[in-house]
Amino acid sequence: MTNPVSETEATQAGAGNSPGPGATPTAAGGQDMPRAITVLVFLRDRGIFVLWGLLIAVFAFWCSPYFFKVDNALLIANAAALTALFAAGVGIGIMTGVLDLSLPGTAAVASCVCGWLLTHGYATWLGLAAGLATGVAVGLANGLITIRGFNPIIVTIGSLSVLSGLAAVIAGGYTFPGLDQLEFMGTHRYLKVGDSFAGIPAPVFIVAAVFVVGTIFLTRTRDGIRLMAVGGNAEAVRRAGIHANRYKVLGFVISGLLAALGGLVSTAVVTEANPNASPQIIFNALTAVALAGVALTGGRGSLPRVLVGALILATISNGLTIRGIQPYWATVCTGALLLASLLLERVLQTAVSERLMAANLSVHEKKV
Amino acid sequence: MGTPALELSGIELHYGFVRALDGIDFRVEPGEVVGLLGDNGAGKSTLLKVMSGAHRPSHGSIRVHGEEKSFHAPSAAADAGIQMVYQDLSLVDAQDIATNLNLGQETLRRGPLGWLGFVDRKAMRRSSEKELDRLGVRTAPMTRPVEMLSGGQRQVVALARSAIRVNGESQGILLLDEPTAALGYEQTKNVEGLIRRMADAGIAIVVVTHDLPLCFEVTDRLVILNRGKKVADLPTAGADRDHVVGWITGSRPSMFAQESHV
Repeated sequence: MTNPVSETEATQAGAGNSPGPGATPTAAGGQDMPRAITVLVFLRDRGIFVLWGLLIAVFAFWCSPYFFKVDNALLIANAAALTALFAAGVGIGIMTGVLDLSLPGTAAVASCVCGWLLTHGYATWLGLAAGLATGVAVGLANGLITIRGFNPIIVTIGSLSVLSGLAAVIAGGYTFPGLDQLEFMGTHRYLKVGDSFAGIPAPVFIVAAVFVVGTIFLTRTRDGIRLMAVGGNAEAVRRAGIHANRYKVLGFVISGLLAALGGLVSTAVVTEANPNASPQIIFNALTAVALAGVALTGGRGSLPRVLVGALILATISNGLTIRGIQPYWATVCTGALLLASLLLERVLQTAVSERLMAANLSVHEKKV
Repeated sequence: MGTPALELSGIELHYGFVRALDGIDFRVEPGEVVGLLGDNGAGKSTLLKVMSGAHRPSHGSIRVHGEEKSFHAPSAAADAGIQMVYQDLSLVDAQDIATNLNLGQETLRRGPLGWLGFVDRKAMRRSSEKELDRLGVRTAPMTRPVEMLSGGQRQVVALARSAIRVNGESQGILLLDEPTAALGYEQTKNVEGLIRRMADAGIAIVVVTHDLPLCFEVTDRLVILNRGKKVADLPTAGADRDHVVGWITGSRPSMFAQESHV
């Protein structure tokens, strides 16, 4: 009940400035924010959901009757899962104000560590735990180097190089094939219903868990909020008496952990640990993150949007595949979409700030 | 007068061979607004940094409510009840007003969720509203991101954040660096009003500014620096504008003539 009351407060920065009797048209409807701005802000923050809805609608007609089916939805979700995991890692890194490019290396090392342990007869849980611990260690190292005042991009390019070399060393130049123990988190499907429903693939559950926990962490907990604040203005956070650097390191650790998880899940899907750190991983993830409108300057963005970004990539390639269009057109489409979304965001942002200025000015004129 | 809220005596600070501050005495009483004036390079920002704990003076002592203190970091000054409002405001643009006001002292939820670090956004919003009401500057909904506020509203949020924090101490000290540098006429008036109300609540306030009209409007006393020395310290009421400008530019000799040696 507090919101409607506060919405009617006067715009002016000042005491007891009652809204004048002749309220300006911009202040109509008991809102101090013009409706146009509300709509624009909605489009800016939620536009990606609208876009995804549009894509689904288009493909549902264009690729009828194969696209709009539960089985196909699961296919898309499964295809988006790996991108989404890495995108969550990159995304949280960027929101914290660091661009972690070492993700493919972290993923490769984590899966090779896990693969080595499993082929040498250690327990599955130990392999997975060691893989995740590797990710945390890499994040910690990245973070501790970066807070000494080095550029995170260069630092993580360096560690990407180190890590991909290390992964090859662990694997001795080969791969670790036949890791069937990991099938439960790879191709296995859960919640099967007789013959009518084949079940939901394991990676979808993992992604869902990561995004639910991550979103709650970033928006509801003290550390998550501070993490976002550090991304927005590290100096302000430091001046507020918070150890901003600790949160930078935490951002790296989370992104390393998610990269390791992504590596383990991809290992599980193909039941083979591969030491190749594919740069494609980071580019896909970055595309999803950028589509989600996460500003590279940090402090902004939300995980649900990142998830939708990954889903959009998967949706496009799925829809085009159903139509029998060659897969590289999907890459062209996503690239074009990304550029268009950048453009749209710029236009919306400019419109919002212009309108805000105008609103403030009109308040000003009214009073003089 | 009782004990000053903040008292500096004999402050000297050297940057290499450059003497940035030279034997500065400075005090501010509870509820008093002191304007710190001077030309560029006169040392007013340096003095402010000494007060906020960002710089350590080479010589001299700092007393807070009569107690001798030595600040090794801004956090030590904050612990002593000194809050600084930076010229860049130090707000997190993408976060809402309530979050900015509570940054670093978030309210956690009660019970198990609180142990996990969950914040109580509703309580933070309520307390922010209450605090802003108390300061008489309820401006926009607490859920609005700072980036969507006007310059004046941002300034008010930054001032209010510091005011809330010093008020936790019985009588706090607030240091303002150019509080109206980016504001229009009307917004400046609002900030002036807020500064006066904070002073009336017993907060000691030091304002560094180039804005002479602001100084004559809100301050009780003027302290003017020139080339690292204090050249004037006088009540604002009765101060002559031309004299003040003379002290700032250095065309008028120091009030403290005993030290003038050509």
